Amino acid sequence: MTLAIRTTDLTKDYAVGFWRKRPYRALDQLSLDVGTGDVFGFLGPNGAGKTTTLKLLMQLTFPTRGRAEILGRPVGDVDVKRRIGYLPEHPYFYDYLTAEELLGGFAGMFGYRGAERARRVGTLLDEVGIGPERRLALRKFSKGMIQRVGLAQALINDPEVVFLDEPMSGLDPLGRREVRRLILRLRDQGRTVFFSSHILADAEALCSRVAILVGGRLRTVGSLSDITAFHVRGWELVVSGVEEPVLMRMGLMQRTTRIGEERYAIELPIDEPPDKVLSDLTVTGARLVSLNPIRDTLEDFFVRQVSGVDPPESRVKG
Amino acid sequence: MRTSRVVAIVAFNVFKESVRDKVLYNLVFFAVLLIATSLLLGKLTAGQEVKIIKDLGLAAISLFGVFIAIFIGIGLVSKEVERRSIYSILAKPIRRHEFILGKYSGLVLTLLVNVAIMSIALYLVLGYMSWTEAEEFKRAWDAPAADPAMLKAIALIFVELMLVTAVALFFSTFSSPILSAVFTFGLFIAGHFNADLKHFEGVVDSRVAASVARGWYYVLPNLAAFDVKAQVVHAQPVTAGYLGFTVAYGFVYIAMVLLAAMWIFSRRDFK
Amino acid sequence: MTPGASHELERPPQMQPVVRSALLGTTIVMLFATTVLLQMARDRQALTAMPRGQVLYVRSGALLDRVALSYDALLADVYWIRAIQHFGGTRRSTDVGKRYDLLYPLLDIATTLDPRFTIVYRFGAIFLAEAYPNGPGRADQAIALLKKGVRSQPQKWQYLQDIGFVYYWWLHDYVSAATWFRRAADVEGAPWWLRTLAATTLAQGGERAGSRMLWEQMFRTAGDDWLRREAERRLVQLTALDDIDELARRVQDYAFRRGALPESWTALVGTGYLREPPRDPTGSPYVLDPRTGHVTISSQSALFPLPTEPPPLPSR
Repeated sequence: MTLAIRTTDLTKDYAVGFWRKRPYRALDQLSLDVGTGDVFGFLGPNGAGKTTTLKLLMQLTFPTRGRAEILGRPVGDVDVKRRIGYLPEHPYFYDYLTAEELLGGFAGMFGYRGAERARRVGTLLDEVGIGPERRLALRKFSKGMIQRVGLAQALINDPEVVFLDEPMSGLDPLGRREVRRLILRLRDQGRTVFFSSHILADAEALCSRVAILVGGRLRTVGSLSDITAFHVRGWELVVSGVEEPVLMRMGLMQRTTRIGEERYAIELPIDEPPDKVLSDLTVTGARLVSLNPIRDTLEDFFVRQVSGVDPPESRVKG
Repeated sequence: MRTSRVVAIVAFNVFKESVRDKVLYNLVFFAVLLIATSLLLGKLTAGQEVKIIKDLGLAAISLFGVFIAIFIGIGLVSKEVERRSIYSILAKPIRRHEFILGKYSGLVLTLLVNVAIMSIALYLVLGYMSWTEAEEFKRAWDAPAADPAMLKAIALIFVELMLVTAVALFFSTFSSPILSAVFTFGLFIAGHFNADLKHFEGVVDSRVAASVARGWYYVLPNLAAFDVKAQVVHAQPVTAGYLGFTVAYGFVYIAMVLLAAMWIFSRRDFK
Repeated sequence: MTPGASHELERPPQMQPVVRSALLGTTIVMLFATTVLLQMARDRQALTAMPRGQVLYVRSGALLDRVALSYDALLADVYWIRAIQHFGGTRRSTDVGKRYDLLYPLLDIATTLDPRFTIVYRFGAIFLAEAYPNGPGRADQAIALLKKGVRSQPQKWQYLQDIGFVYYWWLHDYVSAATWFRRAADVEGAPWWLRTLAATTLAQGGERAGSRMLWEQMFRTAGDDWLRREAERRLVQLTALDDIDELARRVQDYAFRRGALPESWTALVGTGYLREPPRDPTGSPYVLDPRTGHVTISSQSALFPLPTEPPPLPSR
C-alpha cells in the first residue's frame, strides 16, 4: 500500500539567541506513517513541533536530519505539490486581491484556465461559505473569512492529501462545525487529511488515527480508542428534582456538586455503572438532565506528559 | 511551460497589488508637475524652457522609478515571509526560484508601465511646447523638443531601475524591509559615485588604496553609467556601442544579482 | 508504487545541494567576470564628458554636483531661476545701497552643475556687466563666466563674441574686443560677419556706427525673446543718442543765430527749427536745460539711463 505520508527520523534544530546562536531542537526523530484515506489528527500542546513538522512536509524548512516523503516521493517535488493541499496556521494572503482573484491565481498555477478555472473557484468559495464578498479585497475580510479562503485555496487542485494546520482556529462554533463537515466530506471522497490541533474534541469527532507530539517528540500514535489515556474513566450524571437528604441516604454526597436549585452533578467511577444509580434516583422522583462519559482532556494528558519531560535545551545533542 | 505560467501568475499578482496599492498615483503627480512647471517657466525664466522641462521630466522618470523600485522591491519577498503568505504559495507547484523570478517580473512590469506613461506625457508636453514656440527661437535649442534621442536616456533609466529592483529584491530575500531599504539606498548612492572610484589614484597617494578603489568600481553596480540625461538634453552623441555595452552590463549584473537572490532564497528556512 | 521504488526517484539527499551550490557559485563568478569585461569595453566608448568645475566657494558647485547624484542638471535649473530672481529683484529694488552679491555665485554654481547650460553664460554675462544700479557693473565677472563657458565648450563662438562685446561696450577696450571677435571668427562654423565686426571694431571703435552694427548682430543672432528685446532696446537707445545729437546741433544753431539759448522747445517750434516738441522713440519728451542748452532723455523714459558714450579711439 502506498503511504500518504512517511517521515523517517525527521529532526529539526533551530538556532536561537541573538548573539551566541545555540541550537534548539524543535523536532526530534519523528518517524510517522500515514496511510491513504486516513483522517490523521496530529495533536500536541502549543510549541510541541506540529507546525514545524508541517513546514518540513511543505519544505518551507529543511530538516537537520532525516527525511520526509509524500505519496512515495520526496517532499518539495513539484509533482507531489500538484497532488496536495496545505492550509497554514493563521493564513494570510494579499491585501489588495479579491478572494476570487487569489483563488484564480492559485488555480492557474495548477493549470486550470478559462471557464473551468472560474467554475472551480466559484464552487470552492460556495463550499466554504464565502458569498458575494468574494469580490472584495481580502484586507476587508475578518479572520474567520480568511480562514475559509485558506481552506478553499488548500482544496483548489482537488488534492489527494490535504494538510491543515489548526484548521479550526479563528472560527466561531458554527464555522468549526462546517470545517468538521468539510473534513468528513473529504474523508468520504477518499482523500487523506492530515491536520494538527491542540483541541481533543476536534480529533475525537473526526480522526481515524492520531499522533501526540510533546516537546518535539512523538509520544504516542494509534487509533483514538487505542490510546489508553483517552479511555472513559467515569461518568458525569446530572439530575434535577432531587433533594439532598436522598443523595445523602444513597451515599453520593461525597461525589456530588450542587449546580442549581434541585440540580446536582454526580461523578461516578468507571466501575460503577450509571444505570443503577440512575434507576435508584428516578424512583425518588429525580429527572435525568444529562449523562456524559468523563475522559482525560488532551490538556490533562499533555500536563502529565510534559511533567515527565526534561526542559528542551538539555535534550540537544551536539 | 509550467515555469512561464507560474512566473506570469506571480508577476501579474504583484502588478495588480501595486496598482491597487495606488502606486501609479505618482503618475498624476508627475503630470501635474510637468504641466505646472511648463506653465510657470514661461513666466520665470528667459528662454530654455524646453531644456528645463527635459531635465525635469527625465529626472522625475528616474527618481519616481527609483522610489517605486526600492520601496516596493524591499517588501517583495520579506513582506510575504513576514505575513506568512509565502506558506500557501510555496505549497503550490512552484519552485522557489520561479517565485523570485515572478516577483521580479511583476515589479519590472509595474515600472515599465510607469516609465512608459511618464515618457508619453513628457513627449506630449514637449511636443506642445515645440508647436507653440516661434521658429526662430527653436534654432537656439541644442536639440529638438520632442527629440527621439531622449529614448536612449529613458531606456538606460529603465535598465537602471531594473538593476535597482534586482538589488532591492536581493536584500529582501534575507533581511527586513528597513535594512533592505538602507542597503539598497546605500548601493544606489554608491553606484552613482562609482565613477570617482576608478580614478582614485588622483585623490590618494597610496597605490593599495587606489587598487582597492578600482576593485570596488567593478564590484559595485555602476549606476552613473546609466545616466546620459545631460548628454541627450544637450544633443551630445550617445553611441550605439555605449548604449549596447551599458545595457548588456545591466542585464548581466541583474542576472548575477537575481541568481544570488534565488540561491539564498532556495536555501532559506521559514520559521 | 512501492516504497522501495520511490527511493530510486529520489536523488542522493546530501550530494545534490552541494553540486548545485558549486554550479551556482561558478555561474555567479562568471557573470561577475562578464560585468567587469563589459565595463572595460563600455569605458572605451567615448561619452562626451560633462566636465566638473573646481571648488571655488563654500557654496561649492562641485559639492552640490556630488550631492545631486544624477539630478545635477535639474538643480542647475533651480540655481538659474534663483539667479534670475536675485537679479530681477535687486534691479527693481529702490534701496540706495542695493547689492548684487549673490549673482555671480549663483551663476557659477548653475554652470558648475550643468557646464553646458548655454543660456546661463550668455545671459549671466549680460546681467553681470550691466552698469550699476541696473546691474552689478562687474564686467570682469562677466568675462570670467564666459571664459568658464569657453573651457567647457570651446566650439561655442557665441561665448567668444560675447567676451568681445563686454570689452567693447563696457570696458571700451576696442583692441581686446577685436581680438576676441577674431577668435570667435576662427571657430569652425562661426558666421562670416564676425571678421567684419573685428575689423570694424579696430577701425571705428567707439563710434556709434560700430555700436549699432554690434547690436544689430546681437539682434539678428538672438536665441530667444529676452535677448532680442534687450538688443532692440539698445538700438533704440542709439537712435535716441542720434536724436539728442541732432537736437543739440539745432539748439546750438538757434543760440548762434539769436544770441541766446532757447527757453523751451516752444521757442524752437515757433521759429521753425522744429515742427513740434521732440519725443524719444518711446514717446517721452526730450528734456532741454535752458541754462546750458544740454539735451537729455527724460528720467521717466523707458530708455533711461542712456549708455555712456565710449570715448573715440586715441588714434582717431
